[in-house]
Amino acid sequence: MDVRRETARRERRDKLMRFLTNWQGMTGLVLVILFIASAVFAPWIAPYDPNAMNIPARMSPPGWDHFAGTDQLGRDTFSRILHGGRIALMIAAIGVSASLVIGLALGMVAGYGPRWLDNLLLMIFDAVRSFPTIILALATVALTGPSLGVVLAIVIITTIPSYARVARTATLALRNTEFILAERALGASTLRIMWHHVMPNVMGPLLILAAMEVPVVVTIEAGLSFLGLGVRPPQASWGTILNEGYLVIRDAPWMVVAGGIPLILTTLGFTFLGEALRDIFDPRMGRGR
Amino acid sequence: MLSYLAKRLTLSLIVVALVLMLLFSMLHMIPGNPAILALGTRATPEAIAEYSARMRLDEPVAIQFLIFVGNAFQGDLGTDVFSGRPVTQVIGERVGFSMALIFSGMGWAILLGIPLGCLAAVRPNSWIDRITGVFSVGTIAIPSFLVSIWAILIFAIQLGWLPAIGAGEPGDIGDQLSHLILPAFAIGLGWVGYLARMVRASMLEVLSEPYIRSARAFGLSPRKVTGYALQVAILPTITVIGMGFGGLISAAVFAEIIFARPGVGKMIFDAVSDRNFPILQGGVLLATGFYILVVLLSDLLIAWFDPRVRQSL
Amino acid sequence: METLLDIRGLSVGFGTSRGRVKALRDVSFPVRKGRIVGIVGESGSGKSTVLWSILGLLAGNAKVTGGEIGFEGGDLLQLDAAGLRAARGEKISVVFQDPMTSQIPVLPYVRQMADILYRRKGMSAKDKRDKAVDMLRRVGIPDPETRIDAYPHEFSGGMRQRAGIAMSMLTGPNLLLADEPTTALDVTMEAQIIGLMRQLQSEFDTTIVVVSHNLGLIAELCDDVVVLYAGEVVETGAVRDIFHNARHPYTRALLECDPARIEDVSRKLPVIAGDIPDLTGALAGCIYAGRCQRAMPDCHALAPPVVHRGSGIARCHLLEGPLADPDWPPPMEVPTVPREAGTPVPARPRTVQPPLLEVRDLNVRFQTMGPVRARLNGVKDPFVDAVLDVSLSVRPGETVGLVGESGSGKTTLGRAILNLLKIDRGSVHFDGRETSAMAERQFKPLRRDMAMMFQDPIGSLSPRKSVRALITEPLTIHGISGVDIDAEAERLADMVRLPHAFLARYPHELSGGQARRVGVARALALNPRLIIADEPTAGLDVSVQGEILNLMADLQAEHGLSYLVITHNLPVVRHIADRIAIMYLGRIVENGPTADIFANPAHPYTRALVEGVPKPDPDRRRPEAAAIGGEVPSLIRRPPGCDFAARCPFVQDACRTAKPPHVQITPDHGHACLFPLKQANQTTETT
Repeated sequence: MDVRRETARRERRDKLMRFLTNWQGMTGLVLVILFIASAVFAPWIAPYDPNAMNIPARMSPPGWDHFAGTDQLGRDTFSRILHGGRIALMIAAIGVSASLVIGLALGMVAGYGPRWLDNLLLMIFDAVRSFPTIILALATVALTGPSLGVVLAIVIITTIPSYARVARTATLALRNTEFILAERALGASTLRIMWHHVMPNVMGPLLILAAMEVPVVVTIEAGLSFLGLGVRPPQASWGTILNEGYLVIRDAPWMVVAGGIPLILTTLGFTFLGEALRDIFDPRMGRGR
Repeated sequence: MLSYLAKRLTLSLIVVALVLMLLFSMLHMIPGNPAILALGTRATPEAIAEYSARMRLDEPVAIQFLIFVGNAFQGDLGTDVFSGRPVTQVIGERVGFSMALIFSGMGWAILLGIPLGCLAAVRPNSWIDRITGVFSVGTIAIPSFLVSIWAILIFAIQLGWLPAIGAGEPGDIGDQLSHLILPAFAIGLGWVGYLARMVRASMLEVLSEPYIRSARAFGLSPRKVTGYALQVAILPTITVIGMGFGGLISAAVFAEIIFARPGVGKMIFDAVSDRNFPILQGGVLLATGFYILVVLLSDLLIAWFDPRVRQSL
Repeated sequence: METLLDIRGLSVGFGTSRGRVKALRDVSFPVRKGRIVGIVGESGSGKSTVLWSILGLLAGNAKVTGGEIGFEGGDLLQLDAAGLRAARGEKISVVFQDPMTSQIPVLPYVRQMADILYRRKGMSAKDKRDKAVDMLRRVGIPDPETRIDAYPHEFSGGMRQRAGIAMSMLTGPNLLLADEPTTALDVTMEAQIIGLMRQLQSEFDTTIVVVSHNLGLIAELCDDVVVLYAGEVVETGAVRDIFHNARHPYTRALLECDPARIEDVSRKLPVIAGDIPDLTGALAGCIYAGRCQRAMPDCHALAPPVVHRGSGIARCHLLEGPLADPDWPPPMEVPTVPREAGTPVPARPRTVQPPLLEVRDLNVRFQTMGPVRARLNGVKDPFVDAVLDVSLSVRPGETVGLVGESGSGKTTLGRAILNLLKIDRGSVHFDGRETSAMAERQFKPLRRDMAMMFQDPIGSLSPRKSVRALITEPLTIHGISGVDIDAEAERLADMVRLPHAFLARYPHELSGGQARRVGVARALALNPRLIIADEPTAGLDVSVQGEILNLMADLQAEHGLSYLVITHNLPVVRHIADRIAIMYLGRIVENGPTADIFANPAHPYTRALVEGVPKPDPDRRRPEAAAIGGEVPSLIRRPPGCDFAARCPFVQDACRTAKPPHVQITPDHGHACLFPLKQANQTTETT
């Protein structure tokens, strides 16, 4: 009967091999590592201080001393991009972690708890999830004024429902399985069931979702900062770089190009990675959210 | 069917109620006299007094809220702080531009994306499948506001083919259409890729279902089988479109700001920096109402297409 | 007799991550016109693959590596897509296994059937509709003119299968392929479908190929039989030759292991030990040599000869050649498969002990819709009674079988007893204490005495826990301290004869049989006194189901366990249960000693069940009239009188007005029928 164990072991190895040979996944991984590394080590990698002004050199095109050119105050765009990455990384890290934890808890409660609670939570999730983010942002900023904190709060609130939905679907599917019933028949408490038996099986899809949500979060921050609703100048964020670039788009078009590229690369990287992980480890997840 | 409708309607009403409450409380959470916020800093003391009396600002908050809601239902959303015109009138002038943008953006995305996804699913690993794959990944990776900016850069500035700013001369359809092309393209591009992938994935899944095998076993033509599959696969796609409309509205707002189109989105954005609260309220209310309507419609569409949902009395 | 379909040397392989699986190797058999051919095999035999090869609908990773399929002068395997499409639906048609998933859900039947007729250019839409309605009528669907417009989900399982048959016969095909046509159906519905298929075959003169693992079905329906084992044909022949004088050891073993053919009741059933060989590896010699009850050393190296007899063949060294044995095969009464001696079944219950488990007038209700919706739809009482006034008892050391078809409420009853569902009315007493009213906290210690084995062996094990963790979890949950967890795990593994190496595995690394053992071990962890086993043989091949049943019998003898076995499998329960309770639509309609119930059923439904199981003996085919018509009524529309009245062949007016009360014929044989087939101290007149 060792055929079956061998098969399972071979399957695990297969999955690892498939991941390593999946060009999409590997590209994604490389890009993600690039993103994280460049953000973490920005203060050491960046050739210039991101706020250092150099008026004589303002609006210069990309060249050897300024890889991405300079902006209207002579600041080095490349350094600003690297430091902007730190904002993006911070928002991604905090935003995704907070949303994931809260979404996981809410989703498990919705999936495992009484029907009325599930219906209520589901209504709230659906309403919040698809609400136009920008409207929410504009309304909030009207109240509180623009800040990075506002962006973070909005990002967390609007992404919680995605995690909650996935956690709920997974919990619901598990709830009616025979093994959960078996655990109840053994006398396991609800808490034990949730912690030992439901959560480990829900975490997988959630982590994959987290990978795919990072670009969403980063893009929201960039968009809001672009409109002036998030990060305030002179702080460098990919959004503010695009904002400044847009203002000088006729004279210095390279700024919007340079400011946009890191966004695209980050989005591509996390999307490739997330999809490769999903296809290999949890193919069922792609459907029926 | 009836109870399904009732449930969706209740949800919508609840969302509307919540938003109304939030909007209303906005005015009262900002430090300062609500009357001054509503009328502007240049309001005369008489106007302030009249407003306070009319809106009963001394009364408990609940009553004020009811008055607010009552006014809203009667079409009175306040007056524009700067021009003094009713908010509904201001919105009315601008809503057309927003609708044109939203529907043309989503329209071309659906017209191109769904057939593309369908074709890719029916001919897996063909050149059309690969191109669709690359294309959709590429377009999803670029945020819509970036597409807007780059579209302006490439088509308006560098190539000079299309105009960048505004909505065109009123009354001149051709001019208005040419001003619509770039923004509609910008907000639709991401959707084409997304829809194509969704439809492809959904179709592939349906094509592997046992009942498709049955249809083939009965000798039905490939076109008929694909038709069957599409009929089932379209359902989750409709859900996705309904759910994603909020994102489309967001993208449209960005596009209006970037292209300086005089639509409702730009109106809201300007109102924030101008502290023009009645306009802000009115705009947010409209956007929310529109979004709810779309979601409701997509639910109804699904019920119409799927007999199982239709009959779950 | 003319040959309609001639399969010669068919070989099919599947490309998987493990390697190339040689699913079919050199399969050859003829299908003669006007006959019904049955392909018998267990899991892994490749029988469904044969069907899909005929239709050209193999899965993407499958490849035909050799052979030809002769049909109407041509080779089906050589046809291009257009040619195949022309044949499918018109000349060759299919009935699928699971009617719930094989019909497109979003189109009404009239549309689906009209589409099938698309090649009939001369037919108008009305003509097609009429033909479809006619076909529905012929397969026994009532009120076909209106029901033709219904969607599949509006039909019950049995009706859906009839509709599926109607769709397949619509074009009057020459050849009908049936893939396990009755596996998803209840016993009473199965009998109806068998009758229907025979009737259609004579009406349309269709040739039918039936694929099944159910020997009873094959014996009832087929004229010729092909026996497949692990991708090879091991024996073919006329149905009587196969069932009365099987020549291949596998066929013999299969017939001997079928509990419906074993006359004498004993707790131990014969088993074919082992598993089918790995089809990705090199295969030499006889494919059955690894498990054959008469294997000789040369069998593993030399391919067996093809030995003809009449119209059939068998591939075995024992029949011809240097290794032939003139005494093989022995007469059918002589068992060739080893069978353990079981404890003799006592004629009457041992001692009159107080019952361990006693259920009295138990009621379980489910809510069908919320109060608001009920108000909107004018439904006063939005509940269904899944379990209605059920009383039963289990004594220490005995096995009680709870028998019923789908929707009978037997699983609900099992779960209610274990406090996993809310009880509406009635009581459950365990060891003298009333458990039905207990809160979970009070009930929890009792879970050590009452354990459950679940229907889905792998699905009932938490996927990310090792076997060791799963088996010992009850100890953790109930806070048993001071024991060596590892030692306990090994002790339990020994009890269920699971090698210690398996303790480190995870559920997806286990086979169905191994997973069942883990389920048993887990149930035994805290020395229970009662085990409720939900469908212990579900999904197991007939030749291996004995393994788990024998294990359960051994454990009972060693530890004095009581079992409540929930099942729909009558032949099995006849062997393993001391007493049986029959459930229909949530009520117990009869209960009593097993032998009595099978010999002299009192309730007409019991008789329908007992006689409804297809007998694996072609000489004992039931006449069509014996099949009970109709379907199980819906729980939502429970009839006012006796639940069985609409289908009962002995129904009288009084039956429709009030529910029959429970009556005891003898102290341990009771029923719920107003006009039973057997009164107290009387034997029934059986046909």
